[in-house]
This record gives sequence, C-alpha cells and structure tokens, in this order.
Amino acid sequence: MPAILEARNIEKTYSMGKVLVSALRGITLEVEQGEFVAIFGPSGSGKSTLLHVLGGLDRPDKGNVYIDGINLSTLNDAKLAEVRLHKIGFVFQFFNLLPRLTALRNVELPLTLADISEKESIQKATEMLELVGLKDRVNHRPTELSGGEQQRVAIARALINDPKIVLADEPTGNLDTTTGWEVVRLMKHLNEEKGQTFVVVTHDQSVAETANRMIYLKDGVIQGVKKGSGSERL
Amino acid sequence: MRRKQIAAMAWENMKQRRLRTSLTTLGVVIGITAVIALASLGEGFRVTVTQRMEQGFELNSLTVIPGSLFAGLSRERFTDENVRNITHIPGVEVATSVMQIGNVTLHKGDNEARAFVATAVNFTDFVQIFSDRFVFESVDGSPDQWKNNTIVIGYKVNHPNETETPFATAGDNITMTFMKSLYVRETRNFTVVGTLQKRGTPGLTNFDYWVFIPLDTAREIYGPPYESDLIFVKVSDPDDSDAISRDIEALFPPYRISILAPMTFIRQVDSILSLIQLFLTSIASISLLVAGIGIMNITTVSVMERTREIGIMKAIGAKNITILTVFLAETALIGLLGGLIGVPTGYGLSYLLSLVMSGFTMGQQQGTVFQTPETQQTTITPIFSPTWAVSALLFGIVICVLFGLYPARKAAKLHPVEALRYE
Repeated sequence: MPAILEARNIEKTYSMGKVLVSALRGITLEVEQGEFVAIFGPSGSGKSTLLHVLGGLDRPDKGNVYIDGINLSTLNDAKLAEVRLHKIGFVFQFFNLLPRLTALRNVELPLTLADISEKESIQKATEMLELVGLKDRVNHRPTELSGGEQQRVAIARALINDPKIVLADEPTGNLDTTTGWEVVRLMKHLNEEKGQTFVVVTHDQSVAETANRMIYLKDGVIQGVKKGSGSERL
Repeated sequence: MRRKQIAAMAWENMKQRRLRTSLTTLGVVIGITAVIALASLGEGFRVTVTQRMEQGFELNSLTVIPGSLFAGLSRERFTDENVRNITHIPGVEVATSVMQIGNVTLHKGDNEARAFVATAVNFTDFVQIFSDRFVFESVDGSPDQWKNNTIVIGYKVNHPNETETPFATAGDNITMTFMKSLYVRETRNFTVVGTLQKRGTPGLTNFDYWVFIPLDTAREIYGPPYESDLIFVKVSDPDDSDAISRDIEALFPPYRISILAPMTFIRQVDSILSLIQLFLTSIASISLLVAGIGIMNITTVSVMERTREIGIMKAIGAKNITILTVFLAETALIGLLGGLIGVPTGYGLSYLLSLVMSGFTMGQQQGTVFQTPETQQTTITPIFSPTWAVSALLFGIVICVLFGLYPARKAAKLHPVEALRYE
C-alpha cells in the first residue's frame, strides 16, 4: 500500500514567554491508504501539535510532511490551503461548525470553497449527511443539534471533498461515552466500507485500540507503535 | 470561491448582526447624503448664477474703455478711426462709439427728472448690440428714423420713486440742460422717441438710470474733436470674445485700453463657482471619512469575534484571499447599501434645503430697491447629475473597502491554529 501521509524528523518548538517548549522531537511516521491510525498519549504529549503539522495547519521547525506525495514544506500559504481543501479533512474535538449555518450549509462549505456549483454541492452535501445518518437534520443549525449529531456533521464536512486522509483531533473528547462510541463506529464504518484513511488523535486508550495501528506519543517523541484490535472492540 | 457565494456569505454575516450593520450603514448614508446634497445644491447654485449672469450680460458684446487697471485709467478718448478699425476685425458685427455726458436734468413744463448718466449713441447700432435690454415701453417710430434732438429715457428716470405716471411718453417734448464746460450751460429741446422698460440690476450697466441722445446731437453741442469715451462691440460668436479682445488690444499701444468681455468674466466666475462646489463637496466628504473609521472599528471588532470562525474556514481550505474577500465584501456591501440609500436621500435633502433657501431669499428681497421680476424668482434648483450619483456611490464603496482593508488583512493573515484556539 502506498503511503498517503509521511512525516520525517518533525521538530516543533514553542516559546511560552521566555521558556522554549519542544512539542515534537524528531517524529517520523507513515500512514498508508485505507489505514485507521490512532495517535494516543497523555495531555501535553504533543498529539494535537503533531496533527496540526500533519494537516498543514502549522509548519514544523524541521522535517518534512508529505501528503499524497506533496511536500507541504515547499508550499506557500495558498497552495497549503488548497491541499487542506482537496486532500485533507479535519474533525475537531469541539466540532468547529459555523453556528449561523445549517448542517447542510456547513457540509457544503468546502465544496463552495472548491467552486463546485450550488446545485451539485447541495446534492452532494445532502447525500453525505444521509451517509452519516442525519438525513432529517439537514436544515438544523448546530445549536439545534446534539453533540453527537454535530460531530457527525463535522465528519460529513471532512469527507465532502473526498479527501485522501481525515485527521480527527480528540473526536470523542467532548461527547458522552455512548455518543463517543457512536462517532468512533461511524468513522470505523467509513474506513472499512469506503476505504477512507483516518488518523485519530486521542488520549483515550480504548478508542485508540479500535485502530489498525496505535502510535504512542509522550513528550513529543513516539514511544512505541503497536497493532490495534480494529473493529473487534466495537 | 465564486463572487456570488462570497456576496451571499457577506450578506448572511451582515444579517446576523442587523443592528450593528444598520448603524454602520447609517454613518455611510449620512456621509453620502451630505456629499450629494452639497454637490447637487452647489451645481444648482453654479448653474443658476451662470444663467443669471448670461441673462444680465450681452454675451456677444465687448466694451472697450480707455486706460488699464494696471497702468492707471487714462483720460484719452477714442477716434472714429479706432471704431472703424475695430469694425474690420473678423468676427465683429458692429462697433459703435459712445459718448458719456454725465448727469443731466430733464424738464417738462414744471416737472423735473434727473438722469445719472446721459449717453450719446448711434441708436441703430445701439439697438443692434443691446437688443435684449434696450426694450421700449413706449416708442415712436424705429431707431434708424430718429433724427437729431431726440431722446430715449430709462425707466427709473421716467418713473422717479416708482411713480405710476411717467415723466414723459413717446412724442412728448422736453428740455435738457447740458454743462458744456465749467461755466457754460446749454439748454435744448428734445422729442421723446422712446421710454425703456424696467430691467433691474443685471449686467454691467443698468439702463434704468440712463437717458440716450443721438451721437450727432452731442457732437453738435460739444463740437470737435469728435471723440468718444467708450466703444461697444458686438461679436458674431460669444466664444470668439477672447480672440477678438486680443485683436482689439493689438490695435492700440500697450495698456492704452481695457476690454470688458462678459463671456470671459462669466467663464472665470463659473470656474470659481466650480472650485467652491468642489471645496464644499470635499468638506462633506469628511463625514464619509468618519463613517469609514466607523467601518474600520466595526470590522476590527467583527474580526475579533469571528477569529475562531476564520480558523475553521482556514482549516477546511479557505485561502487568505478568500477570508480577505469575504470581509471586504461585507464592507463593500455596507458602502453599496449606504450609497443606494444616501444618493436619493441626498437629492431629497437638497430639494428641501432649496425650498427653505428660496423662502428665505424671497423674504430678504421684499421691498429692496433692486427688486425686479427676475430677482423675485431667484431659487436654486438642485441639479441631479448621474455622474455625481455614480461617483458618490463608488466613492462610498471605495472608502468602505479602504477602511475595511486593514482589519480584513489582519483576519486573512491569522494563523489557523491560533485562530482555532481563540476563545
């Protein structure tokens, strides 16, 4: 299987006042197409920073990230935005939906940014919401949806442009256990049925264990990689 | 991202903050209203003044006077040869000598009338030059039939203190006393051949206070040398006034004469009024600048409030230019909206101000000495100019976009991760 995502010797340092904090220290990893990879570790281990760097939201101080063979370090802001638009989907802990837009419009937004016609984007967004089980909630605004439903909308939005990879940052972190597992099951379903590649950052080991591969991160360093149990836990 | 979608997104954002948008738009409305009101009133004022001046002056006339404002007024006088030379200049229709006699007293029986200016003219030429102002209320025959010892009397001379009964009418015989020199007087009989209508104050010369006698009669009274004080010239095309003035000046030694050309004067006044109009509009534009600062303020607040939203947009693939365009589209829409409301409001206000001002000026003119039928109708009608309307609209949009540029650029340059973390 070809590597959809490849990170080589990633280093990232933050300055917090006068103190320099090494968030990532020489991270190297690969994610193959169709994989469901979990990056887990305790708070402050650098999981979210790594996800931001892998998704082109942040630039590493050292090292290179390749998405579908494209070296993100060589891209300017506009090209990087294009990669995020067409090749990466993001799911966040706090859903990050635009509150004034309906579920349909939220899901449609990446298509709008990609200059897809209104008619086509409405049709595609409706189908995607149907896929995540929100057929009856298309015209609801985020405030009218439950946490689980909001996260489903966020997953639909992440998938709408048919990305090469979906990066999820603590997707169950703001949900109760039952709803959290529903979201995990949805992602696993999309992975297994559609072949969608997922990289999920989580501090919850039980969620991480549902992945094909678990990458354990601590103090900005990969401490170990082990095989997950996949869908057996679900 | 397509323009239509950006505009739709901007409109949606504005609708979410109705009160704020309305108040910001109100600032732009006030600015554009002020610009349009002053511009249209200014244009109306300029056109009214120019028209009034055009009515008051014979645009195709020139007055040649001796001396120069720069080299001192001369006591020299013009010869008939000077007049003939001017007549030969291409574009000159008529040139005629005018002899000024000074103030005189007219007698008809026991009645007496005083004229501030008695002037000796060639009636035929004079009527041709001042056909608009040399208008009779009673007339005996035509000017080219009038012989020596005839007289035309101005309205105010004929109606001293606005009396209804005139001092004389056409056909009456009167006497007029001249001062031939310091100690020599001569009294002559004249037949009134015409009395003039009331014309009021417009123009360089107010014929209401004048009486006119034939040039030949004056020359007979005063004897040689047969010279004149002024030369009135009629040109075929008022636009040639400047060129003909230069040709006339070339006939005389430097600074010997001056030429009063109404067309040149009106052009100067028109250009001064245009400058005043521009100045007033510039002052009104300041209110639009204040509105622009309001937009900058509101957009800055909006960027802060929507920082997280900007982060989300960037995370899902929006480019910096898209973020910039969305914010600028909002400011441009405010400008457009402000303009669409401000332009008609501005014209409405200018008409209202015009009505108020016309009432005020009419009140002021009541009972003044110089009141004439024309001055009673003095109103400034604002002029609707599509160019001004479009310019004000575009200016409003440009101001809004320019003032929105700084906060919009700040929004566009936000770091996606920091924007996403913003609480």
